[in-house]
Amino acid sequence: MEPDEPGTSAVATEIMPLAFAKGKEKYCELCQREAYLQCAKCQVTFYCNADHQQADWVGVHERICQMLVSIRTMKDIYDPAVRKRNQLRKTHLIKICKLVAQSKLSEGKHEEALPAAHCCLQTSIDLYGPNTIQLVPAYILLAEANMGLGNLAVVAELLSQAEWAVLKNPELGASIQQQLHRSLGHFHTSVGNLETALHHFSNDIYFACEEYGLDSSATTKGYFLIANVFNRQGKATIVHSLYSEVAERWHKHLNSLLETHQKHADSSVSFYEKAQRVEMEEMLRVMLEFEQKQSRRDAALIALIAYNLAMLWFINGDFHKTQDFGSTALQASLQIPKHKLTEPIQELLQQVESLQTEPQPGSD
Amino acid sequence: MKKVLDSFRNRKVSASSILSRKEIALFRNSPKQFMCVEMLQDGYHRSFSELFTLLRTDVEQRANAPPRSPRLQEPPLADQREKLETIRLHLCRAEKAERDGAWTAVCEERLHLGRYFTHPMDLWLSFHFYHSCADRVFGGRSKSATEARFHLAELYRQQGDLLEARDHAERALKQAEDGGWLDPEGRPLRLWGCRELGEIYSLLGEAYLAAQDYDTATMLLQLGSKMAIEGGDKSVEAESFFREGMGLQSSGDHQAAMELFNICAELFGSLQDVKGLVKSYKAIAKSLESEGNIEECIKILEKAADLCQISDLQELLADISLTLGCIYSDVNRPLKSCEYFLQSYKAACTAREVVLQHKAQVKLGHTSVHALIKSYNSEMETPSLTSVKRLVDWKETRGHQDFC
Repeated sequence: MEPDEPGTSAVATEIMPLAFAKGKEKYCELCQREAYLQCAKCQVTFYCNADHQQADWVGVHERICQMLVSIRTMKDIYDPAVRKRNQLRKTHLIKICKLVAQSKLSEGKHEEALPAAHCCLQTSIDLYGPNTIQLVPAYILLAEANMGLGNLAVVAELLSQAEWAVLKNPELGASIQQQLHRSLGHFHTSVGNLETALHHFSNDIYFACEEYGLDSSATTKGYFLIANVFNRQGKATIVHSLYSEVAERWHKHLNSLLETHQKHADSSVSFYEKAQRVEMEEMLRVMLEFEQKQSRRDAALIALIAYNLAMLWFINGDFHKTQDFGSTALQASLQIPKHKLTEPIQELLQQVESLQTEPQPGSD
Repeated sequence: MKKVLDSFRNRKVSASSILSRKEIALFRNSPKQFMCVEMLQDGYHRSFSELFTLLRTDVEQRANAPPRSPRLQEPPLADQREKLETIRLHLCRAEKAERDGAWTAVCEERLHLGRYFTHPMDLWLSFHFYHSCADRVFGGRSKSATEARFHLAELYRQQGDLLEARDHAERALKQAEDGGWLDPEGRPLRLWGCRELGEIYSLLGEAYLAAQDYDTATMLLQLGSKMAIEGGDKSVEAESFFREGMGLQSSGDHQAAMELFNICAELFGSLQDVKGLVKSYKAIAKSLESEGNIEECIKILEKAADLCQISDLQELLADISLTLGCIYSDVNRPLKSCEYFLQSYKAACTAREVVLQHKAQVKLGHTSVHALIKSYNSEMETPSLTSVKRLVDWKETRGHQDFC
């Protein structure tokens, strides 16, 4: 009975709460209040008003609408085969919700990630039980979404639930502990408990090293995050030391990326790689700003960071920015006699120039 | 009852009963996690990565060690709290000094760490820290770095890697000469270098001698003695003179060898080193024997045997008595010879030296039999009935004649 906007929302039909039998009241998917609308397509999802219905549709319902039908319809749950199938469907649902939530979070759309994260959590509780370790990733996801929106009280509660689940299972793998500590670190930084944040980020780095190795990108990100906390505490020397470590690591990584790029210029980039590059770019930008604001400027480090940025933009294909950062790097490196980066920087700039003056850049 | 309830409700939890996060972590987390987190929290990330890599190396070494090897007897490094604590303390200090640009402090801390690990299974840690101190680009020529290099030379020498040891010792000596520093006892540091090099050169010389490269051997041995004299440590001097003497002996120059051995004997005597003294006497005796001067040889060997008796050096006593016995039997004095062989046998038994024991037994038997048969030699040679009869008589009446 609601107007059907083509392609953007499902049809929702009105329902009368009083019409339901006792014990079978329906609640809104997002806010758990009394529901007045029902999704016309699957008929097992309910909402309290049109706003919530629209939000859920955009968030996750568009993708999982039909899946919910088979999961939520009360069927014969005594047959073990049926139960097993149901569990598999729920696991699949959890996976889809997680992917959707993560992609929305990486794009920065925290509000839209909420429905997916909620659904993921509810289904996980349904499947595994209230205080188990499989809920921890779902808690962390929801906490991240809420942190982006600034609902710190909710975040605190979610993270303490997650922490409790982890404490009850000390033999948990290092990766989950690492994610949890990172979220806790983020949370405490936003709240302002810098010492606690330091503790959590240290644990995050330790577990990242245990799980992924000392040279992994997770560890590097961990170093960057802990450097931010030290920055807020005002300990510039420690920040400087950490930033130089991060810059060195990204330098190695980017060097290898540049080599592969020069060999196959048109290789497609995976989603994960894109996300990593966006993160890398942001980290390098923040570091460059910090270094340039320092009173005792370390020209070597500035040159390194600027060169890293130049390489990154070159790989991404933006030649204008490559030239910008390349010239900053060159300036800084020329201040140091016989710096080992001067030649590579000049080579890169020449390459950019030659590519820009070519009539058809790229395709060979 | 109500009052008690009230007091429970109103009582404030005292601050001392709540454990701090650190104390909780100390008990709950493994020592490795606790140390790593502490280091990262204080901002010392390079110390963290160094410790992490060391722990990884320890795990790998333990995985590659054969089962029941001594490497596996000790608990893994990740569980030894005091060692981790020491490493953390000094590495953090070194990192702080590095950030401030105080290179000498960095080297000092690393040197301290190198000295700390004395257990034979922890040698790899000592090597790591000494190398990280001595091989630094900034501060690699400071006093601590030079001391670290000397330690490295010593360790390599003890492990038998003489070429590496020589390399490090020479570099360290040059640095010590340039620096002119004093060690904790007030002597110049370069003397340590001279001592080390003296040992190393003479050991190398010995190795070349064994490989029969006499020229290089002689050169190295002479160099070794020269360095040892400069170094001023009498025991090192004595040892290097001894090796040089052995070299000369094997090349045939017995006069020069004997001179050196006499000097050795003096030095060992002043040092009260009985083993060394006995060693030098034995060598002198060998030279005298090769020259043909048996009288002197016997005298010296007897002196050495007495020394061994007095200081209860059973193995050496067995060895020397055996030699004496052989010499006496060569000069045809079987009684004396058997006496010494028996002494040798007894000493070998006490020292549980099976090889010497067997040798002594064989020689003793051989000589006694010859002495016994000597009187009946003529009987054995004449092929007549009477001589055979006399031999048979003798065999039946002889019993167990005791010689000694």
